[in-house]
Amino acid sequence: MNDSFTPTEFISVVNQTLEYAYSSALVIGEVASFKVNQGKWVFFDLKDEESSISCFMPLWDLRIPLEDGMKVMVRGLPKITKWGKFSFTVSAVKPVGEGSLKKAYEMLKKKLTQEGLFDPAKKRPIPDDLMRLGVISSTGAAGYADFIKIINARWGGMKVQVAHTQVQGLDAPDQIIKALQYFNERGEVQMIAILRGGGSADDLSCFNDEALVRAIAASKIPVITGIGHEVDESLSDLAADVRASTPSNAAEMLTRDRAEVREKIRRSINRVSQMTLQEIERARDNNRSRINETMRKSLEQIGLARQQNSSQLKRIISLIRVKYLDPMIEANREKIRRCLEKIKVEFERVESDISQKMKTLEVLNPEKVLSQGYAILAGKISPGNIVKITTFKQEIEAEIKKIQERNRDE
Amino acid sequence: MSEKITLNQKIAKLDNEVEWFYSDDFKLEDAAKKYQEAVALAKDIEKDLKELKNEIEVLSEDFSK
Repeated sequence: MNDSFTPTEFISVVNQTLEYAYSSALVIGEVASFKVNQGKWVFFDLKDEESSISCFMPLWDLRIPLEDGMKVMVRGLPKITKWGKFSFTVSAVKPVGEGSLKKAYEMLKKKLTQEGLFDPAKKRPIPDDLMRLGVISSTGAAGYADFIKIINARWGGMKVQVAHTQVQGLDAPDQIIKALQYFNERGEVQMIAILRGGGSADDLSCFNDEALVRAIAASKIPVITGIGHEVDESLSDLAADVRASTPSNAAEMLTRDRAEVREKIRRSINRVSQMTLQEIERARDNNRSRINETMRKSLEQIGLARQQNSSQLKRIISLIRVKYLDPMIEANREKIRRCLEKIKVEFERVESDISQKMKTLEVLNPEKVLSQGYAILAGKISPGNIVKITTFKQEIEAEIKKIQERNRDE
Repeated sequence: MSEKITLNQKIAKLDNEVEWFYSDDFKLEDAAKKYQEAVALAKDIEKDLKELKNEIEVLSEDFSK
């Protein structure tokens, strides 16, 4: 029979057939009998209610913590060992189901926290002048489209390099790690953004891959993550320098809003303009006050000077009087006295002369004569004429009857 | 050769220029000149804000291999 095989040949043919048929088989089951041998090899059974598969994998391919009872999806290659036993060589494992996902997450989080991978002191900020950005995402994803739309709306002038990778599934972690290595090796970007829109816990579980979390923590270039929704927190988020809640939020954190910047600039310029005007006004007021103050002081000084001058003037006059006038008066006192005496004598003489003349005039006063009983007759002295006779008390009109010469010898 | 400064650097420069007005270095006699400089820079920034676009490059590398 030409169709017969030796055991070795048969196992080899079966393995080739299995590899051809199931080169990358995915199997979901519950972990049982988990153990690590010699610190290198991992063994566990994957079972359901009825069957069980023996699994084997190198420890370095195990990227999540495993323990019995966890539900996982494994990818691997079925084969028959040389002892004729069925084996499943696993290349990737990921937890499946809420309980397992949570369990794997908590176990790895505890381990990496103890190692200091999430230490807040190691976090680096977003560069102030971000001009070159690396993006790791699936270019077909809605989250990526949102990110690009927002950065373009908010800001300009940035150079963005995009590494297209899967962002879910068993292959996603390795692709993202390669993209991280790419950016770190070239050193052309200032920040790396790892983006993935919302999804189920299972979709996002790749971001809890230990190797990926370590690669993010080890990146020389600061990393920002924008993964899932606000409530989702992956271990990649914890390892990143900056965590944005979503890709859109990452876009907002990485860029300034040009409308806000424009408004801020206008406000600044307005404030500066107003402030300068106020300063000018204040300076003007100050000058005015200074001028007023100067004037007030000047007036005070003038007043003071005037007072001082007045006092000085008095002192000068007093000085002149004491120093010059009084001695001069003293020196000429006799002359002055004699002069005054002459003036007095002359004055008395003039006064006496006037008095005498006044007396004479008094005697000659007609009223005085009338008061002594005499009368004044006025008019033409001729018989029959009317004449006017004035006495001290009366005025009389009289007719002349007779005229005769007076005998003055009696 | 004059070095071309980025938009963010221009904004930082404007911030510094504005800060001068609030600092102890402020002198009224220099204010007009400084104000004119700030306004000119603000206009330049506004122009950049209006015109600058991001350059998006999707890398040709295949990260699945």
